[in-house]
Amino acid sequence: MGIIEGLTSGLLQAVSLSVFPYLLVGAIFGLVIGVIPGLSGHFAMAMVIPFLYSMEPGAGIAFLLGAHSTVAQGGGLTAILFSTPGTGQNAATLLDGVPMRQNGHGAMAAGAAMTACFLGASFGAVALALLLPVLQKVVLFFGPSEIFVLAFLALTFVAVLGKEDITRSLIAALLGLLLAMVGVDNVTNQERFTFGLLELRDGLALVPVILGLFAIAEMFELFVSGGSLTGANARPLSARETQRQVFRGMLAAFRRWWLVLRCSSIGTAMGLIPGLGSAPAAFIAYGHAKQTSKNKETFGKGNIEGVIGSEAANDAVEGGALASTVAFGVPGSSSMAILLGALFVLGQETGPNMLTYHVDVVFIMIFTIIIGNLIGMLGGMFLVNPLSRATGLRGTVLVPVLIVIVFTGAYAVHSAWFDIFVALVFGVIGYLMKELDYSRAAMLIGFVLGFAVEKNLYLATQLDGPDFILRPIPLTLAIITVAFLAYNIWGIVQHRRERDADGG
Amino acid sequence: MTTTTTTRTASPGRWLATLVAMFTAAFVIGCEPPAGQGPPKEGVAAVYDGRIIKWIIPYSPGGGYDEYGRLIAPYLEKYTGARVDILNLPGAGGMRGANELFNAIPDGFTIGLINGSALVMNELAGMPGADYEIGTFEYLGRTVADRRVLVVTRASGYDSFADIWNGGTEVKIGATGLGGSTYVDAVIVNEAFEMGLNIIHGFDSSSVIRQAMLRGNIAGTWGSWGSALDAVDQGRDKIVLQSGKERAKDLPDAPLAYEFVNRTADPDRARAILDAWEALHAVGRPVAAPPGTDPERVAFLRQAFDQALHDPELLAEAERVKRPLDFASGEGMARIVAKSKIMPDDIRELFVRAVLGEL
Repeated sequence: MGIIEGLTSGLLQAVSLSVFPYLLVGAIFGLVIGVIPGLSGHFAMAMVIPFLYSMEPGAGIAFLLGAHSTVAQGGGLTAILFSTPGTGQNAATLLDGVPMRQNGHGAMAAGAAMTACFLGASFGAVALALLLPVLQKVVLFFGPSEIFVLAFLALTFVAVLGKEDITRSLIAALLGLLLAMVGVDNVTNQERFTFGLLELRDGLALVPVILGLFAIAEMFELFVSGGSLTGANARPLSARETQRQVFRGMLAAFRRWWLVLRCSSIGTAMGLIPGLGSAPAAFIAYGHAKQTSKNKETFGKGNIEGVIGSEAANDAVEGGALASTVAFGVPGSSSMAILLGALFVLGQETGPNMLTYHVDVVFIMIFTIIIGNLIGMLGGMFLVNPLSRATGLRGTVLVPVLIVIVFTGAYAVHSAWFDIFVALVFGVIGYLMKELDYSRAAMLIGFVLGFAVEKNLYLATQLDGPDFILRPIPLTLAIITVAFLAYNIWGIVQHRRERDADGG
Repeated sequence: MTTTTTTRTASPGRWLATLVAMFTAAFVIGCEPPAGQGPPKEGVAAVYDGRIIKWIIPYSPGGGYDEYGRLIAPYLEKYTGARVDILNLPGAGGMRGANELFNAIPDGFTIGLINGSALVMNELAGMPGADYEIGTFEYLGRTVADRRVLVVTRASGYDSFADIWNGGTEVKIGATGLGGSTYVDAVIVNEAFEMGLNIIHGFDSSSVIRQAMLRGNIAGTWGSWGSALDAVDQGRDKIVLQSGKERAKDLPDAPLAYEFVNRTADPDRARAILDAWEALHAVGRPVAAPPGTDPERVAFLRQAFDQALHDPELLAEAERVKRPLDFASGEGMARIVAKSKIMPDDIRELFVRAVLGEL
């Protein structure tokens, strides 16, 4: 089957009456799952699998991927409105989404986030389609050596995020790296920072840490200071004003198409790399948005570009993540592993056979991602209004309800009571960090990348020898890293000089 | 969902909130099997009728264990009359689920799929966290035994196990963490034949190992037969060695590890190591109830499990999704587990070192 033929056939199938209803139901289901913290995309997919046994392949794929594709949108919505990110991938959205809400622009941020999601996902899907002829080569581009240098490059974005106070940011980032080391190291079999606890042997789970650092810290603050989630200055908005804000947010995302495009490419590229996941992608895109923005200083205080950048990237990841699953039947993430299992259930073969004989199935996936996100965006538009009403409630009313939701979410990830404790501890840490002005974003970056950096450094030295860094691709990436770091350090030094001159 | 219901103010979006709530409710209700069909049940069957059996799966949704659980659960429902709820309890390499099962109330309403071979080894090694006693579980039966295979990429140039043996330290074999099954298989066979292969561990998951094979970073890896099938069918990989006492019917061309014992300097030792290795594989993935469960209920569950695993529909389904089944009865499992724990001291020490990552 040729690619054009596959494209037409895939599109016609995706919008046909035997497939589209499943796509619609799946997308709404994914949105609901995304709204609930702790329940992630791969949970949504696992819930759907039992239904697949009696379904046609096209309908099954649409149902499954539809559910997966809108989870990030639902999660972004609650990250902005309640500081409770649905999953790890929405963590970066908190950095500017929450201040926007506190300034009374929550609905605008939500509109921008959902639109950025849709645009990012579409970009990722189109990129996957364009890469089809060379997909196998692209996937094999990244080995441990390349991933190590890339993850290290990503780590240096801490310098961008914490430019204003580099000392505190470095402390936070290094703390994050230490947190990533908790658990049994599977290279040496040594327990690190587990304090003899069985629960810590597998390391800290991402979702409870994020929920603690941001959501619970926020609850503490709300409880201490009183008031509501919207902040003291913002007055409650009417339904019509809220809706208008949503549309303004959506328009803002379309207007910043160049930023969306760049952040989506970052997301797609990071999706291609197995094992990195979408949380780092969103942070890198956020860092990039800040780096290239004219108003760097308003980042973290409610800049809509921060929301757009991170949400565009976290959904663009999906197109990239599909690549290795489609090209070789080798899943790049836990969600993709479930997709692969589901494809078996539906009787589909991945790898070269799929690319040669069933390329229409690949296009069903591509169109499902695009249409699913469109449905998610439209559905989310209607969700913003009722949800944002709740943000105006008094803290004393809202905090108990949110605490219940957050604890449930922390528990749900691994059905573990211990994770509630983890969320609580990180709630205290998050509150203290916020009060003392340490960057929680820098700490999270260290945490999500520490594992990838360490593990891939070991594998790179084992597979390619200690001089792996001198091979062409890693060397190029390393030079970029050094240049990037030098540029930023120079900027920081300049900034200091100016400040001292002003002060003197 | 709770957040939407906290909204009391009338708003244009409220109908949608209701719609979403209704949809979710319909979805949840739709998952439940119809209750109260057929004639009234008697005895133990009446105890189970319409009740909920909690089925612990010791890994995350989406893994091989989870797939087995979700594949078999409907048939277990069919023959017990109860609803079977899957509870994923991932952690500590399957030990968290096993510990939870071990300490669960033995009322016959909690069962678990456990990673038997690894649990036996961890108990023998006295691994921290192995707080169960593998011999005391009430076994309902086995879903599948471990059939392990050594796969290499065709691009690696190694065409047979003999090639790999001759390659020695040149051959890179990938493995996940120290003590994981891909690692234990690799070092145990390496040790049995004293081949001196270069075993590179520390890969995150078997998928990352596959990626490294595709890139040509490593030649091959050990894995379960089911997980190797895909790449073999696509003509990318080749199975050069299989575990087991005789060649599997659908894998007639790959030699057994046993067929090479005479090539070693000390065939008796090699055979003894492989014997212990096979006894562990036989444990496979059993389903068990907590120790001390009422014998009548155990007998009922055993029968239901037996019927479920011989249901032609399940067999066809398993064949289609490439999840091989290899049933053993509950009574048989108890013997298999007991046997797997018996091995000569020097061999036991070898396995313990492998599991602790000291080999």
